[in-house]
Amino acid sequence: MNIDELKDAWNKDDSGDMRLHLDTASLNKTTSVLGRLRKNMKAELISLLMSYVMIFAVLFWNVRSPLFFNITVVLLFSSLVITVFYFFRFYVFYKSIGRYDLSIANSIRKITYELELNTEIYKTYSFSAIPLSVLTALALIASKIRFDHLNNAIFTNSSLLPFGVMLYILATILLSFIITYVCINFHVRTSYGKYLTDLKQVTNDLGELS
Amino acid sequence: MHVNSKETEFLKQINDNKGILFKICKIYQDDTEDRNDLLQEMTLQLWLAFDSFRGESKFSSWMYRIALNTAIAFFKKQKRRPDDQNLPYDFDKAEEISRAGEEEEKLAMFYKAVQQLNKVEKALIYLYMENQSHEEIATHLGITPVNARVRLSRIKDKLKEITKKMNYEYR
Repeated sequence: MNIDELKDAWNKDDSGDMRLHLDTASLNKTTSVLGRLRKNMKAELISLLMSYVMIFAVLFWNVRSPLFFNITVVLLFSSLVITVFYFFRFYVFYKSIGRYDLSIANSIRKITYELELNTEIYKTYSFSAIPLSVLTALALIASKIRFDHLNNAIFTNSSLLPFGVMLYILATILLSFIITYVCINFHVRTSYGKYLTDLKQVTNDLGELS
Repeated sequence: MHVNSKETEFLKQINDNKGILFKICKIYQDDTEDRNDLLQEMTLQLWLAFDSFRGESKFSSWMYRIALNTAIAFFKKQKRRPDDQNLPYDFDKAEEISRAGEEEEKLAMFYKAVQQLNKVEKALIYLYMENQSHEEIATHLGITPVNARVRLSRIKDKLKEITKKMNYEYR
């Protein structure tokens, strides 16, 4: 086989079976994995903002324990700050990741490195935000009911939490961590896993040439 | 540059060089739907990067890099068949090909054989077919010219083996 002999046919090939639909609308549509990840991230941010609005609405409705109302507000603002920080970080990442004007080796290495880094950041965010959200939810529930054991323990220091309640809180926090770990790893593996493996393979192939 | 004139200039350039995009699609994807998705994604990425085109090099040279980067980083939708499954020889297609001229027949088989190369090898063979020198190929890929030459030689041998397995030998 002589590939050089094919060059004439290659040059003459006008790929008549393909059509380029050029219009302004098509310049905004994307089918890539990165594009879909951007959309997912946007949807996640919108649903988070909506849930914050709902939590605030529930927070001000029928307050029965001012102490737990105050605790909920502190936890809520803490998780909001963490969420804003991480989502800003993700926004910057997804804005920069699609720039392909470097050499192919550098672009692919950059995408692989940044994608891997951001999956780890995403896991870190989930680990910090979800248990905090569980605590916020517990405080929110406690603000709606009279949770005398906790109230007494915090106000008067005369009543320790019963061992059973302590175990219950520990188990809840532990369970939230385990569920978070399993769900996030599954989510990252299904969303990014095959894509990252594919990119790492390309990086290895390019590494053999460098 | 005004937004509309920028857009007009971009669309004109893309239209003038659409052959580059078509051939990259045919090299990287063997399914019509995937080719169309890749074509759309390359157009989008070229548009997003258009501000970085300073006119210091030819538009086509700049386009090679963006389009190939997009094709390599492009990941097809999960569907009918897995990514790396080797397709059985398509007998209907073969019959269709045999009716075309000998050159077209060879080129069609070339496109079929190229599907079994990895993404980096596809980029190398594509740039070679586009008459890029070893130095230019090396610059686009970010490798050394010596490596580009050695690897190209291996890819040619690999393609020969692939076409043999497909029961077709270029004459």
